[in-house]
Amino acid sequence: MNSWSLKGALQKAKDIIVGPIIAIALALLLAGILIYFSGYEPLAAYGALFKGSVGNINSLAVTGVRMTPLLLGGLAVAMSFSCGVSNIGIEGQLYLGAVGATIVGLMPLPVPQWLHLLLVLAAGFVFGALWATVPGYLYAYKGVNEVVLTLMLNYVAIYLVSYLTNTVYGPLGEKGASYSQSPELVSTARLPILLKGSSLHVGLLVGIVLAIALYIFMNHTSSGFRLRMVGFNPHAAEYAGIPMERTRMQIMLLSGGLAGIAGASEVAGLFHRLYANFSPGYGFDAIAVSLLAGNNPLAVILSSAFYGALRAGATRMQQVIGIEVSIVFIIQAFTILFVTAGTVLSHRPSVIKKLFRFSKKSPAEGRG
Amino acid sequence: MSDIILRMEGITKQFGSNVANNSVNFDVYKGEVHTLLGENGAGKSTLMKVLYGIHQPDEGKIYVDGAEVTINSPREAVNYGIGMVHQHFMLASNLTALENIVLGMPTSRPPFLELNEAKVELGKIAAEYDLHVDLTIPVWQLPVGAQQRVEILKVLFRKANILILDEPTAVLTPPEVEQLYKVIDQLKAQGKSVIFISHKLNEVKKVSDRITVLRHGQVTGTISSKEANPNNLAKMMVGRAISLARKQPAVTDASSDKVLEIKDVTCLGDKGVTALNNISLEVRRGEILGVAGVDGNGQRELAECIAGIRPVTEGSISINGQTVTGVVKDPRIMGYIPEDRRRTGLVLDFSIAENLVLKTISEPQYKKFGYFINWGTVYKHARQAIKEFDIRTSGPEAPARHLSGGNQQRVVLSRELEKKPAFILASQATRGLDVGAIENVQDLLREQRNQGAAILYISTELTEVMSISDRIIVMSKGEIMGEVTPDPSNLPQIGEMMMGLRTSEQEGRANNEQLES
Repeated sequence: MNSWSLKGALQKAKDIIVGPIIAIALALLLAGILIYFSGYEPLAAYGALFKGSVGNINSLAVTGVRMTPLLLGGLAVAMSFSCGVSNIGIEGQLYLGAVGATIVGLMPLPVPQWLHLLLVLAAGFVFGALWATVPGYLYAYKGVNEVVLTLMLNYVAIYLVSYLTNTVYGPLGEKGASYSQSPELVSTARLPILLKGSSLHVGLLVGIVLAIALYIFMNHTSSGFRLRMVGFNPHAAEYAGIPMERTRMQIMLLSGGLAGIAGASEVAGLFHRLYANFSPGYGFDAIAVSLLAGNNPLAVILSSAFYGALRAGATRMQQVIGIEVSIVFIIQAFTILFVTAGTVLSHRPSVIKKLFRFSKKSPAEGRG
Repeated sequence: MSDIILRMEGITKQFGSNVANNSVNFDVYKGEVHTLLGENGAGKSTLMKVLYGIHQPDEGKIYVDGAEVTINSPREAVNYGIGMVHQHFMLASNLTALENIVLGMPTSRPPFLELNEAKVELGKIAAEYDLHVDLTIPVWQLPVGAQQRVEILKVLFRKANILILDEPTAVLTPPEVEQLYKVIDQLKAQGKSVIFISHKLNEVKKVSDRITVLRHGQVTGTISSKEANPNNLAKMMVGRAISLARKQPAVTDASSDKVLEIKDVTCLGDKGVTALNNISLEVRRGEILGVAGVDGNGQRELAECIAGIRPVTEGSISINGQTVTGVVKDPRIMGYIPEDRRRTGLVLDFSIAENLVLKTISEPQYKKFGYFINWGTVYKHARQAIKEFDIRTSGPEAPARHLSGGNQQRVVLSRELEKKPAFILASQATRGLDVGAIENVQDLLREQRNQGAAILYISTELTEVMSISDRIIVMSKGEIMGEVTPDPSNLPQIGEMMMGLRTSEQEGRANNEQLES
């Protein structure tokens, strides 16, 4: 590596990390005040949160499990957002990816486990991408607003999975089960467990590898260069001869595919079957994860770990201190608010200046 | 005439480390036209934004009618009788002129809109100042000159005594400019004061009583228009004498190869109406063909058709014998300096190095291991370009957003001229640049021409087209009005063509005038 890139990379890392850390600190502070006024001890609550998420090897494993779908989904968001495409359909694409993984995972294929797993993940990618095809086409070629398209299809996907897993008439449903679910995947289609005695599965590694791969693709290949160009300035990209329709379609498909892998990893790694409503909104939380990470794939690893830790620790916090789990969602929401506010302010220094001017009370105000 | 209505004293305004205004003193008498002259970036706009309450000065005082005031917002500025006519009109295009004028004003019968009283009052103002506009039609249907009159009416309706006109002639045809001068005379006669902002040397002497010249945020002098002439003004503006016109003989003749050939091209504009109507032209090796005309007469569409971004509905365009069907990607065939470098020429959040390889990133010298970008060579290439084109920057990794307009344009030029293209399309290549940077751009283009490039130079600045072109065509309403040589004696003819009169149709002129009146 040349000296410029090391220096630049460090500077970039600093630029990306400092803002979110301040935002997280402010969010914890504000939520702490809420906890206090609810009649609990904030420090004790955060202590429990901390212990439950990173306190020991088992809680770390829980954090890892919770972060995996957020990481993969976060990459899907980062992929589209950094290319100027607002794919809000991660949740639906994640459900469809789970369907693809289930179909391939139920087949007793006469192949080695690694190949079967690869096929399961590939099916997740393909199904997620397929679910993004229609909104992708309408957006890229017909100019329809992609936010509305992808958002609405989420609900279609969730109900589609409820239908598919229905125990009476669902094509993938387990007949006679008490909950809408598919039969268990064959053993070769289950992702190996990383830590014995826990649920931590290989999906986390898949996510980390994909994050690194996505980072390299976006920053060190000419295809990624063009995608970033489209994201930062579509007009200049068009003038440079980049076919906009096709490129936008590609972005949507890649993003949908990544979301599909998130669903596939949950099915093949954690549940080993497809459940109706299996995602508690991972696809939506993934947007927050990516925003916190500034849509940088490597930073998504960190931000998904943070959100995963919040989720993992929340259970313990409830058990030990008695605080509702929902405080975690409040922390999450505050974090995003502060990150967004920080971004807005850093682009408009005049706003900050004005804030300070008000606080100092300018002599002009005494005039009137 | 001798009462000072406005005095700005020791105004200093800093943006970060950039001092936009440095202890500027500026005053205006009642009934005076005081011109603020300076290059782009000299601090004219900042000073006026301070006066109009958009910026607050770091230091300095403002006196209106002898009393010190603090102006915190445009609304307060209006209360002090200061009105601004922006260069880019602030009109809601789908509202009528009348609605635009009363927009934001309290109504006399709240909560209902009272337009009739306003209409009566505006009628009086219009008669007083010779500002005749149809108030009842949506402003997008009004010609640019009339839209400007709406803006002036808006300001007068708010009882302004001091009118700031920000580069008001930039968008007007020569006859519209004459009309504007008459309005300014009326304003003066009625005791209003006008601050006239300009960077055009030739117009300021005519319109002003006094001229204050700004350079790098400082006042270089205030002189009466009697003492002013283009040479001493230019010297005050740029700090050295500049050659206002430099000619070099063309290196082409009729036998040279045709590089760009446009045959009977028609195309649609953004609103779906015909923007180019049956245009034919050709540019040969080693010549610069200038395209003159008032902004918005098809020049942008012509450039976009040639660039392959706007579809041609009829006719054909070919470069080096190859028909243009989409964006010409080969930088050896075409270099394109687009009209709006910030929007289409650069990715502002990309570094200089990245911007320099927007079109060539796939070339083998920027690759390693077949698939990955070799950032080492990309940066090496950028350092060379920075040196060769004298791009003033902290380094190749600086974002293009942080460069000044002139340096941004150097990045674009460096990228587009690097491969010595056979054809160069320069569309408003000097827009927003200062005199020094304009010289620089023109010199680079001349050099390319001398090496055999064919250049189409589209500009709304007539003096620039005159100084660089070997031949000139004039466009009006999407058609070519005629072709002339860049000889100063042809200026009246060019002016007529800009108004939409064909050289061969002079006899139709009387007819046309009847229609207009």
